[in-house]
Amino acid sequence: MRALNSIRGRLLLSGMLFTAVAVVIASLTVTSALDRFARRSVDASLEAQIALLSKAVGADGTLTRDRIESVGPFARPGSGWAWTITGPTGKLQSPTVTPLDPKAALPPERRDRPKGDPRGSDAGGPRDDDRRGRDGHRRRFRSGETETFYFRSAGIDTTTGPVTVTAGAPRYVRDRMREQALKPLLLSLAVLGVGLLLAMIAQLELGLRPLRRLAQSLARVRAGEQSRVTDPQPSELTAVVTELNVLLDHNEEALAKARAHVSNLAHGLKTPLATLSLRLAEPGRDPGGSLATLIAQIDGAIGHHLGRARAASPGAPGQPSIPLRPRLDDLVVALSRIHAAKAIGFTLDVPADLQVNCDPQDLDEMAGNLLDNACKWAAGAVQITARKDGRLVVLTIDDDGPGLSEAAAVAALVPGQRLDEQQQGHGFGLSIARELAELHDGSLVLTRSPQGGLRVILSLPASVQP
Amino acid sequence: MRILLVEDDGPLAESLAKALRNEQFAVDVAADGETGAHLGASETYAAAILDLGLPKQDGLSVLKSWREQGRVLPVLILTARYGWSEKVEGFKAGADDYLTKPFRIEELVMRIRALVRRSAGHAGPRIACGRLNYDAQLGGFEFDGMPLRLTSFEWRVLSCLILRKENVVERMDILEQLYEGDASVDSNSLEVIVGRLRRKIGHAMIETVRGRGYRLTAGEA
Repeated sequence: MRALNSIRGRLLLSGMLFTAVAVVIASLTVTSALDRFARRSVDASLEAQIALLSKAVGADGTLTRDRIESVGPFARPGSGWAWTITGPTGKLQSPTVTPLDPKAALPPERRDRPKGDPRGSDAGGPRDDDRRGRDGHRRRFRSGETETFYFRSAGIDTTTGPVTVTAGAPRYVRDRMREQALKPLLLSLAVLGVGLLLAMIAQLELGLRPLRRLAQSLARVRAGEQSRVTDPQPSELTAVVTELNVLLDHNEEALAKARAHVSNLAHGLKTPLATLSLRLAEPGRDPGGSLATLIAQIDGAIGHHLGRARAASPGAPGQPSIPLRPRLDDLVVALSRIHAAKAIGFTLDVPADLQVNCDPQDLDEMAGNLLDNACKWAAGAVQITARKDGRLVVLTIDDDGPGLSEAAAVAALVPGQRLDEQQQGHGFGLSIARELAELHDGSLVLTRSPQGGLRVILSLPASVQP
Repeated sequence: MRILLVEDDGPLAESLAKALRNEQFAVDVAADGETGAHLGASETYAAAILDLGLPKQDGLSVLKSWREQGRVLPVLILTARYGWSEKVEGFKAGADDYLTKPFRIEELVMRIRALVRRSAGHAGPRIACGRLNYDAQLGGFEFDGMPLRLTSFEWRVLSCLILRKENVVERMDILEQLYEGDASVDSNSLEVIVGRLRRKIGHAMIETVRGRGYRLTAGEA
């Protein structure tokens, strides 16, 4: 059930269900009320006629045709309304052609049915009841219907026996009356239902809009355009947003904490390693230099794995979008001091508005290692160029050093390869940079520079400009 | 030349101080950030080697406090934190160089010498004064093309003078580069050391400027 997986679907479905149930109940109630109303109004006409007909019944059961009056539809020939009076002394009936036969219409066993019998009271209203008419006769009213006819009859006790006065109307009269009232009512109920449905859709649209806005906000957080969900939220969502922001804080803290741990671990390992290396450097302790090599290997391994461990976790949401130029400027300052002895000339061709989606520390790590490597090998010039290329920012670093052969370039990207026996550093720089680049959906390529040295091409995802 | 070493790890500080003294430097060791900050602010050093992870006051804030007080001594940060972001932080705080543990002592010494030389305003690694030559990278003196054998004290005085050759160097400045912080200073000993140096490179090269100090000169001026 896909509809149940969405709030919109759930609300819409339940709303539709409730509206439908309400409309159905309302129409059932209205129908039965109208039914009763129609029956009562027909009953009133019939009873009025019965009251008139009763005048023709004498106390001794004699029937006098001259005393009979007709009112309403009974007076109109061809209306289909009819009456009969049946007593022990004879029978009178309306001049209209009528299929009315109380004996046939009121089967004898009907009298034995208990009061409240479903067939006797299915349309409600006064059915079998005893009433005293205005003329003083006690009358027992009864209703009944045939396929085409609806009638009401009253029993009048006379000295000679019971007289039955029956007045009837064609069934369609009552049905038409009911239908005429029912049609507009049902129509308005339907309009009400549709109206409610439309209102519900509009309400959902309006009510769920903050959720859509929240989703857009989150997307911006993920894209790194903003670090937290800061847009004002309706009160129902404030708690969710607060929790989300706390979660983001927590993530950031966890990364910072992990980095601090790694940093402490590095400190804890490297300080004794430094002491060891100094002690070994004392005359006579490590004549062949093999122990120094081991220390260099340990150091390289620590550097590599801790470098990996401190990298921003892959797929973590919201790599911030950071301007490239200032970080490169800072790195160039640092590197020109570290390599002050070589007095390297840096050429920086990086547009100020270039931004990449990357953890800032990881960017420092990649660019720092690559530039450091370039400085180590350069004869005197390092050129840094960056351009936007579609969805990537391509950073190119050229040096005018000896460069690398194709095989050496492949080997340089394998962790722990030492290409530079003379130069300090242990060959981890390039491989760390490549791993970090791939972690950030980028890439690292080594090739030959037009200046003759090594060209390193680092591609990183460009941040989406708002 | 006197170096301030701020390092909290005892064994490392000890080994490092020993190695630096082997290279003729006078070394003062501070085992925590507060002591380091105080020493660097109140004493005159040719350079400082500063660890970042220090008790009481961390290295970066020690460095910042020196720079805020206008101390221009060259500072080499020595740290186990190898990240480039941290390096950039260090340089922004005013560091002049950066070395990651573990390191080769030759590398460290070379970098310290280079820092001291550059802070004295010498671009190239070789400084000449008449027949005297100083290799600021390896720390060796040559006189008439022959290596000059010097004691630590002699080396400290001579390197101090040659870095500011043809200029008067105040007695006080030389003394500050001569003795480690806890050594008892005998003010007459400077005359003794200068006397020994004069016997090795000739009287004329080291001028006494009465009431002020000494000047190393090629002599022709």
